[in-house]
Formats: sequence, C-alpha cells, structure tokens
Amino acid sequence: MKHLRKVSLFLTLALVVTLTVGGLCFGAEQYPTKPIQAIVPFSPGGSSDLLARTIEKIWPKYSPQPMVVINKPGAGGVLGEEYVVRSKPDGYTIYIGQGSGHDLVMPHLQKMPFDPLKDIAPVARISIHSIVICVSGKSPLKSMKDVVDFANKGNKVTAAVSTAAGSVDLVMRAISKRANIPITTVPFAGGADSTTALAGGHLAIGGGHPSEVLPHIKAGRFRPIGVALDHRDATLPNVPTLKEQGINVATWGSVKGVAAPLGTPPEVIEYLSSTLKKVCQDTEFKKIMTQIGQPIDYLNTKDWAAFMQMAYKDYGDLIKELGIKL
Amino acid sequence: MEIFSGLLNGFSIALTGTNILFAFIGALIGTAVGVLPGLGPAATIALLLPITYIISSPVTAIIMMAGIFYGSMYGGSTTSILLNLPGEAASVVTCIDGYQMAKKGRAGAALGISAIGSFIAGTVAVIGLTLFAPPLAEFALDFGPPEYFALTTLGLLLAVTLSGRSIVKGLILLVFGLLFAMVGLDPISGKIRFTFGSIGLQGGFDFVTMAMGVFGLGEILYNLETTIKTEIVTTKIGKVFPTLKDWADSKWAILRGSAIGFFIGIIPGGGAVISSLASYAIEKKYSKHPEEFGEGAIQGVAGPESANNAASSSSFIPLLTLGIPGNAAIAMIFAALMIQGITPGPFLVVEHPDVFWGVIASMYLGNGMLLVLNLPLVGLWVQMLRVPYGILAPVIVLFTTIGVYSVQNQVFDIYSMLFFAVIGYGMRKLDFDPAPLPLAFVLGPMVERSLRQSLLISGGDPAIFVTRPISGTLIAIFVLLIAGQCILSIKRKMGRKKKSVNP
Repeated sequence: MKHLRKVSLFLTLALVVTLTVGGLCFGAEQYPTKPIQAIVPFSPGGSSDLLARTIEKIWPKYSPQPMVVINKPGAGGVLGEEYVVRSKPDGYTIYIGQGSGHDLVMPHLQKMPFDPLKDIAPVARISIHSIVICVSGKSPLKSMKDVVDFANKGNKVTAAVSTAAGSVDLVMRAISKRANIPITTVPFAGGADSTTALAGGHLAIGGGHPSEVLPHIKAGRFRPIGVALDHRDATLPNVPTLKEQGINVATWGSVKGVAAPLGTPPEVIEYLSSTLKKVCQDTEFKKIMTQIGQPIDYLNTKDWAAFMQMAYKDYGDLIKELGIKL
Repeated sequence: MEIFSGLLNGFSIALTGTNILFAFIGALIGTAVGVLPGLGPAATIALLLPITYIISSPVTAIIMMAGIFYGSMYGGSTTSILLNLPGEAASVVTCIDGYQMAKKGRAGAALGISAIGSFIAGTVAVIGLTLFAPPLAEFALDFGPPEYFALTTLGLLLAVTLSGRSIVKGLILLVFGLLFAMVGLDPISGKIRFTFGSIGLQGGFDFVTMAMGVFGLGEILYNLETTIKTEIVTTKIGKVFPTLKDWADSKWAILRGSAIGFFIGIIPGGGAVISSLASYAIEKKYSKHPEEFGEGAIQGVAGPESANNAASSSSFIPLLTLGIPGNAAIAMIFAALMIQGITPGPFLVVEHPDVFWGVIASMYLGNGMLLVLNLPLVGLWVQMLRVPYGILAPVIVLFTTIGVYSVQNQVFDIYSMLFFAVIGYGMRKLDFDPAPLPLAFVLGPMVERSLRQSLLISGGDPAIFVTRPISGTLIAIFVLLIAGQCILSIKRKMGRKKKSVNP
C-alpha cells in the first residue's frame, strides 16, 4: 500500500510539473502546438466533406500538427457554423464550408442565429463549384435551346434540384425567369439523391456540381447542356455556359472557403491562410481535387473576405429579382 | 466466365496477408460498433478515415471499411436481443421477439440464430452481388419519387401491424412518429417548422437519439420504478446455442429473409429497414403459429436479421456499379474511394478491377470470419445478463450517451434523448409496444418527401402512383393487405354475432 501511495504521489507530481512547464511554454511556442479541429457543417460523404478530408490528408505535409475533420451537420449548415461562431478563437477550431449557400443565400430568406458576414472571420477560399445543367442521356434535348423549345411547345419541364432554395434551385428558377419558360423545381434530400433521380429519367432536367454529375456524364447516363458560370468550367471545357446560349444566368454556384471564429489572432489566420495556399499548390492535392471534380480556386484572406461580401450581395439581388420566398 | 476469372483475381488480392488482416480488423471493429449502442458504422468509418490515408493500397482500405459496415450488422442484433436496445433502424424489428426470447432464458438461441442467419444471408447476398450486380443496378434507378412513396407507405402499414396486440395503439404511435419526423426543415419548401425558435430543433431529431431514448433509457427509467429484481437476469440462461429444432424452425425464415433483403437492399435509402419489416410480416403470415410472434418466436429474429444483413451487402451494388451511395455508411466508403482517387461507378470494374473484385472476394471471407468471431461471443454476451442491473443500467446510460453524441457531435442530441426517454417511460406505463414509433419516424420523411415530389412532377395528379408499373404494383399490394384485414375482421365479427344469436 505504502509503495502504491508513493507511486501515485510521484505520478501526480510528474503530472503537475508537466502541465506547469507545458503551460509556461505555451506562450513561447509557435502555433499550432496541438491538432486543429476543422468543423464541417454537412454530413460525411458530401462535397464539403470530401474537400475537408482531402485537406486533412495533405495538411500534415506543411504543418507540424494534424487537422482533424469533425462533421456537425444539421439545419442546412447553420448548426455547424453556429458552433464555430461560439467557439474559442484560439485557432484550434476552424470552419470548412464557408460560402456553401447557407451563409450566402439563406440570410436573404430567413432569420439566422448569427450574421454570416460579421460574426466569423474568413481565412481563405479553396474552390468554386459550378452548377452544370444536365439531361438524361436518353433525352432528345441536346442544348438549352432545345429545353426552351420543349417548354414552349407546352411540355412540362420538371427539374431535379438538390434542396429548396439551394444553389441548383436558384439557377433553375433564374433560367425559368430569364428564358421566360415555366420550370417546376422538385427539391430532393441533397445532390446525391437528385442526381440519382435524374439518372433514372424521372425528371426532364437537373443539375449539380461537377463532382456529382461527372461520373454519370462519363457513363453516358447524363448529357451536360450548360454551365451556370461566367466562364466555362475547367473540368468540362466542351460544355458552353448558359450565357453563350443566350440565357443570361450566371451564379457563383457553391463556393468553398475556410473561416475561423471572430477574434482569432491575425498571425494565426495568416498561418492558416498561407499553409492552405501551400496545400492548394501541392501536386497530390491538385490530383485528388481533379479526380473529385472540385476545381481549385484559392483566394487569400483579404480577397476572400471581399468576395464573400460581393457574392452575398449578388445572391441577395438575384433572390429579390426572382421573388423567392420560403 | 468473365465473372469467374474476375472473382479468382479478387480472391488472389483478398487472400494476401495484409488484406486478410484488414478484413479481420474491419470485422472486429464492426462487431464492436454494432454492439455498442448508438455508435454506428458511418460515424466509425468517419473516425477511421484518416487511417486510410496512410494505408497505401486503396483495396485494403476499402476492404476494412466494408468489413466495419457489414460487421456492424452482425453486432447490431446483440443489444436488441439482450437489452431491447436497437442500434439502428433495421434492428428495431429484432427487438420484438429477440428480447422476449432473452426474457425467457433463450438469449443464446436468439443470438446464435442471428449469427448463423446473418452468415447465410451475407453469403447469399455476396453471391447475388457477384453474379447479378450490373443488371440489378438499373433496378435501383427505376425507383423514382412515386415508387418511393408506394414502398414507404407499404412500410408504414407493416410497421403498424407490428404492435401485435392493438392496432389502435400502433396507429397512435404511427402518428406520433410522423409528427416527430416533421420537426425541422420542410423538405420541399425549406421552411422551418415546429422548432419553437430553437436552433437545435432546426436540425430535426435523429433516429439514434429517438431509439436510444425510447428503448434504452425509457426501459431503464421504467425498471427503476418497478423493482430492482432485474427480470432480464433469469436464473437459468439456458442453452447457449440454438437447438436442432430452432434450426428447423428458422431455416426457411433465413432463406426468405436473405432473398427479401437482397432485393429490397438494392434500393437506395431505407432498403434495410423496409426489408426487415417485410421479412417479419411475411414470417408471421407463413407461420403456423402466428400467435407466437411478439412472444419470442425464433423466426421473428431469424428472418429480419437475415434480411438486414443481406440488404447491407446488396447496398454495395448501386455504389460499385452506379456510383450511388445508398446510406450514410456507404456514403463514407464512397468518400474514401474518391479521396483515394477512385470513382465508383460503371467504369470501376474496368478501370479498377482489383478494387471491384478484391472487395467482393473479401466479403466472402469477412462473412466467414464474422461467424467464427460471433458464435463464441454468444456465450460471452449471454453472461452479460448475469451482471447485476444496478451496474448494467448505468453502463448502458453511459454508452448510449456517448453513442448519441457521436452521431452528429451535437450536445443537443443528448437532451433530445432524455426527452424521448420520458416518452418511452410513458409508453411502457400505458402498455404501448414501442416498435412502430421509431419505424414511422424513419419512414415518415421519405413518405412526405416522395409524396410531394410525385405530385410536383405530375402537376397534382394522383394517377402518377397507379399508372407506373412498380408503384402501381406496390399500391395494389397495399390495398389488398388492407382489404384482406378488413374482410378478416368483418368475418370474425359476423361469426361472433352468429354465435351470440344462436347459442
């Protein structure tokens, strides 16, 4: 018993010493000294999650501490972001998924528990996903003009969209307005479900990010007929934009950026943003991003913050013009 | 012959030392995850994903993750039978007769038959996967919104009939299950509903949260109030393994369950749950002693357990041949493949035959390993019932709390679990059989979404449900089942009246 007590006393002392020394060193040592939690506000397997996990894989090459992805899904991304907004701004809780729609689109439609522009600090942009409009491979429709003619002949155009007021839904509604044709948008439980329904030929048209539609395009089950960007998408260079086809619709699609809680020290933000830049320039990272159909489009902290403001305003104007209400 | 040489190639990959080891690790982790309440295969694979970055060969990584997934189906029956605690939606049905068997000292037989049934079903499904994967994949695509509506509505009907004693009580729980499922975001308009301003409720309730509350904690609360005589600790635990009679009773249930699970499991989303429900309903119909169901009928365990296992294997079909992830765990495997630079889909078998066939071959091995692993464990699990309830109950509370948190990493879910525990307690006080509640909760959102999607597509014309072949057939089955039940009960009433008129 005595022996045991001695051992436990020794262990306690050792622990106290380690903690004290560790605590003293903390100020001197450079960030990061422990793993960084990266919160993803969506379920595992989605496009934001895939991006986060690819960063998680490459990150240790450029940082002494690993990044750990934690999924906090719910309420279309609001729950996860709210958690980050309330987290300690010490640089050990960051956020992957800024710009995913809930923070650019939703505030124009409903009340939010936080201000997505003011209550969180942007770090960097990693990627932009365009929206690709597709039809079933068996469909007689070959271009946007065919879709417009099809609708003008009195046919009903149903469109599979990922979620209500999501990025694909907005594009479809914008096409409907600008091309002056009726389109019935049918919301699904996410991109995977809506593309599956289109693959089964249950709807006339549909759309999604390249990562969702590329495998189906390769298999001949989908035919891409338009890209809703200002310029052609690098992953699908042969597909014309909607503007080229005379339909004046271009959106930001789904933007994927990184953020940190407001009040995170500037040097930490600088560290995160410059390390992410190195990750974005990594050959293996580039290779995986190409494979998963997510074009890399890095922006530093200052430019990303400006971009968020602009995209927020663009979406606000579009929603006002289309008269979208939940 | 192409299949044969492919499979042979697959075995040559799966049988290397490393891959055997990782298939075993996967099976082992899967069994543990299945047994631990609340902790599901999707959360586990997400946690272990970083390990796959280090494993150089993608085949090895996927073999391990697949092992975790189907291994968890083996383990999932354990807590359902021993503690009346379903780990996932597809195990809810197992609780009904499995827990009754345990109460009667036949936990060993129930666990044994689950392991054997799971092995047979898993193997049957992998053989099906080997032979028919590409043609069946197209079947998954035939399911559009109207088909989903017909299928899930049929599932709801079957769920109500589970509450054996009283259809009215089953209907009451059905309504509550549907109501709880409606909290959160409206699936079509995106409006927030029934949240009373709470951000936590915006995400809606989670199935695991509800099941752990209603079944696990609810049961514990109820037992606390009665006496601590611990009815699950029966004096004699009985034979550990199923007898020859058990086997004779359940062999057809296992085979029918395997077939049902294999086909329904191909349909993305809800396949496993609906197949377990369908299997239970069919066994009850086929049985010479339907009155035994709900009282500890071994077929009621063997059928559904086989069905959900077969479904877990056949859910790989849409992933491997179409690139469509059918459930959360498969979605994680999908993500892992993508990060490894492999796109699942029709070209997988051409571009990466080693991955395609290697994984399939490993599933033959994995199922064998799981049987060898699980049969001896039966003895061990049964001993768990000897643990005094005063110790067992707090341990269950601890594990369910951790498990519930692990699903979405939200503290809110723990509070929701406590809320559902109170409801579960109330249900026991009022003598409700809880099974229909979680099943309606799982099926409800699919019913609502597919109904509204179908009507959007058809422009409000309900004919869409009967004019399409698959949904038309399913609706016809639905109508026949209800009509049959009505005629039966009318006959019974007439018979009673006649008897009372002419005594």
